[in-house]
Amino acid sequence: MFWKKGKSIANDSSDTQKPVPRKISLDSLKQVLNNMDDVEIIERTTLNDQKVVLIYLRTLIDQDRLNESIIEPVIQCPHAMIYESIATPKVMKIQLLEEAQKSLLTGAVLLNDCIQEQWLVIPLPNELGRGIETSETETILYGAKDSFTEQLEPNITLIRRRLPITELKTEKYKIGSLSETTVVLMYIDGLTNPEYISIARKKISEINFDLFFDSSQVAAFMEEHHHSIFPQFQQTDRPDVCAYSLGLGKLTILVENTPFVLIAPITFFHLFQSPEDYINRWPVASFLRVIRYLSFFLSVALIPFYVALTTHHYQMIPLQILFVLAESRSKLPFTPFWEAILMLTILEIIKEASLRMPTKSSQTLGVIGGIVIGQAAVQAGFAGKVLIVLVCISTISSFLVPNYLMTKANTLIQFGFLLLSSIFGVFGIAMGAVAILAHLNGLTSLKQPYFSPVAPFYWKDWIDLFIRGPLTKMKSRPDHLHPLQKWRYKRRM
Amino acid sequence: MLFVWGIFVSLVMIPGCAPFVENNTIEDIAPVTFWSISKGEKRKIKMSTLVPPLVNEPKSLLTLEVDLLKQGGKDFNLRYYRELKVGQLRYFLIHEELAKQGIIQLINTLLTDYDISQRMYLVIVKGNFDEYINRQAKKQEYLDYYLYRMLRHYERKRQGEMTIVNLHEYKNMLFSPFSDPVLPVFKVAKDNFTYEGTAFFSNDKLIETVTSTEDQIFQLLDNDHYLKFFPIPKLDVVIGRLRSRVNVDLDKNLSLVTINVKLNGRIEEYQGNKNILNGNELMQLQKEIETELEMKTTDLIKKMRDLKVDPLQIGTHTLSPFSKPISEKVWLAAWGKMKIKVNYQLYFEALQNTKNNY
Repeated sequence: MFWKKGKSIANDSSDTQKPVPRKISLDSLKQVLNNMDDVEIIERTTLNDQKVVLIYLRTLIDQDRLNESIIEPVIQCPHAMIYESIATPKVMKIQLLEEAQKSLLTGAVLLNDCIQEQWLVIPLPNELGRGIETSETETILYGAKDSFTEQLEPNITLIRRRLPITELKTEKYKIGSLSETTVVLMYIDGLTNPEYISIARKKISEINFDLFFDSSQVAAFMEEHHHSIFPQFQQTDRPDVCAYSLGLGKLTILVENTPFVLIAPITFFHLFQSPEDYINRWPVASFLRVIRYLSFFLSVALIPFYVALTTHHYQMIPLQILFVLAESRSKLPFTPFWEAILMLTILEIIKEASLRMPTKSSQTLGVIGGIVIGQAAVQAGFAGKVLIVLVCISTISSFLVPNYLMTKANTLIQFGFLLLSSIFGVFGIAMGAVAILAHLNGLTSLKQPYFSPVAPFYWKDWIDLFIRGPLTKMKSRPDHLHPLQKWRYKRRM
Repeated sequence: MLFVWGIFVSLVMIPGCAPFVENNTIEDIAPVTFWSISKGEKRKIKMSTLVPPLVNEPKSLLTLEVDLLKQGGKDFNLRYYRELKVGQLRYFLIHEELAKQGIIQLINTLLTDYDISQRMYLVIVKGNFDEYINRQAKKQEYLDYYLYRMLRHYERKRQGEMTIVNLHEYKNMLFSPFSDPVLPVFKVAKDNFTYEGTAFFSNDKLIETVTSTEDQIFQLLDNDHYLKFFPIPKLDVVIGRLRSRVNVDLDKNLSLVTINVKLNGRIEEYQGNKNILNGNELMQLQKEIETELEMKTTDLIKKMRDLKVDPLQIGTHTLSPFSKPISEKVWLAAWGKMKIKVNYQLYFEALQNTKNNY
């Protein structure tokens, strides 16, 4: 049956038939490149009347360099060894048609030397892409401003500049049967625990899918818990964050055509850490980190608490606030639960719309949204003033968590808590919190506990957990990462 | 899966958090801030409360004559369109006459109701409170709330100017063998509702009320040990910012209690004949104040002793770590015959111009 477990695309017999390797020839190439408008097949004659055929895809190669590095030197070549005249560092001989196809699609020029009867591949990829810009998702005031781009090579360069050591290893993989996406696994040899590296290697090589356009798709195939709302890989477009993580003993996975790099293994608490934490003075950074945890709690539980208190536990509300609450709710036709659901849903719609809309229109949206939610909803009697205030606090709080994926997870948890609180009151929120904690405790990232260093407990790592301790005191790498080199300074013998 | 659901359902049912809850949404309820209880006709109790406490509607006083407290709570609901909930009950006013007959039943009812907060204040009222609040509610919209704020403001560890006792504290004093409960007494006189003093209870019955100077001494000896102003009209002086340190010493055969009180304060006002800028005359005044306080305090403690009540919890000084505590009966018998000795040591903060006048 089609839903039977274990059935995969690879098992389909029609897909598994491998083509018989064919020798490369001009005719077979023309057949393969049939109906491709951007294919160029040009013939040239050298000084000693040798005929040379050049084949390439116009859209993928650097045409200026083609003239300078290949065509000009080849035409001027006085001797028989044509490839010696080509002015590029990498020239390879190939024999199979399959290799030729792949090379053409990665931006190479095929050169047929008719006298020597050989085919040469000269990589000449077009370096098309945007420049290095400031990160938009993880903006910081102080600190490095550069961020990753969609190109793999510059991304590796950005990390290598920060870690100029030969121990920084890069392993290249190709994934995606259609997209042929390059994935690079980076780690520091002799520092990162080899277990993580072998797990990551295995997971990447086991990926079996056709298209990969983003690192989150790669993460989805590497995660151990597909149905969890919590991200098990940290995604960042900041090279400094990557370099810092590598230095702690984690590994990074760079994916072609995406500026977001995956970092693993991570814990729940890593999602609350910002690069600015290590720039600010430690008491300030600690305060900001505590505020972040607090705001996470507020964004998740504030509205459910409102619903629980106004529906079940009015005794818990101080008398002064009860005055305000009763006044604000006195004319509403909805129960607190429906009132909260209504406002939160509208808010989510506005949030999602403002992300998708062009910048100029989103300003209008902000104004309209503000008026609709802040003023009109209260006047029309759809929502109480107190709820509006709480919705604002909880929404703003949700943006304090530095990880965007985590922000989205907040919303789902909030809705879950809301449902529980409307049925069971504060007890429901407690039950929900226990369930979330149990779930977090069971999660793993690259098979490492997601809730460490709290569970399992590593007390030394708490110096950089809820607070960010002084850097001078952080002399060892986090124990929960099990790095091969524990100390972060050179020890005297 | 069934097992997990079983655990889940039991978890929900055990603490009483079943989904079948009472409809408590706050717009449907009228939280009750106070109950006023006095004697009704034919052994009934008269209950009053003010509604609505929250929304902008004219306030009205609901009064009932009932046999039982809870019956009153139920009947109030039938007279008002919102459901009256006692979850925000902040103070409980008991009429003096009723308190003299004993209030244990009322207290037990309050203690066993899990909706009622233990931090609810108990107050004894002299005069017709219902009339007062009925009249005053028209002038002061949130009068019921302001009364609660006043009690909260003067609570021990906040201000300590007057005796303020909550249900929990009253219960503890009532059931402790070496103490007797006290409650504040407020008096209604026309449009005034003023603090009168402290009522002493023997078991659950009001037996004596101390007022003015005696009450102030009681505040210094027991309640927060602080007074902002202590007027002594007889000596034309007001001592201010008084802080006391009380040391109680019981002799071994329980025949003498010595109370040493060290007082720190300053003269806030003086209208007498002495020149208090003169060191010698100031010392003379100080001696007079000490003597006056010793006399008044001795009288107050004698009063307690003769009534066989121990609101200062002197009995607790009989306890020691490795000996068996004496019984309540033995203590009260000894307390009733005990000799009393009171010593005051008064320290004034230096006045500016007295230094060179000795």
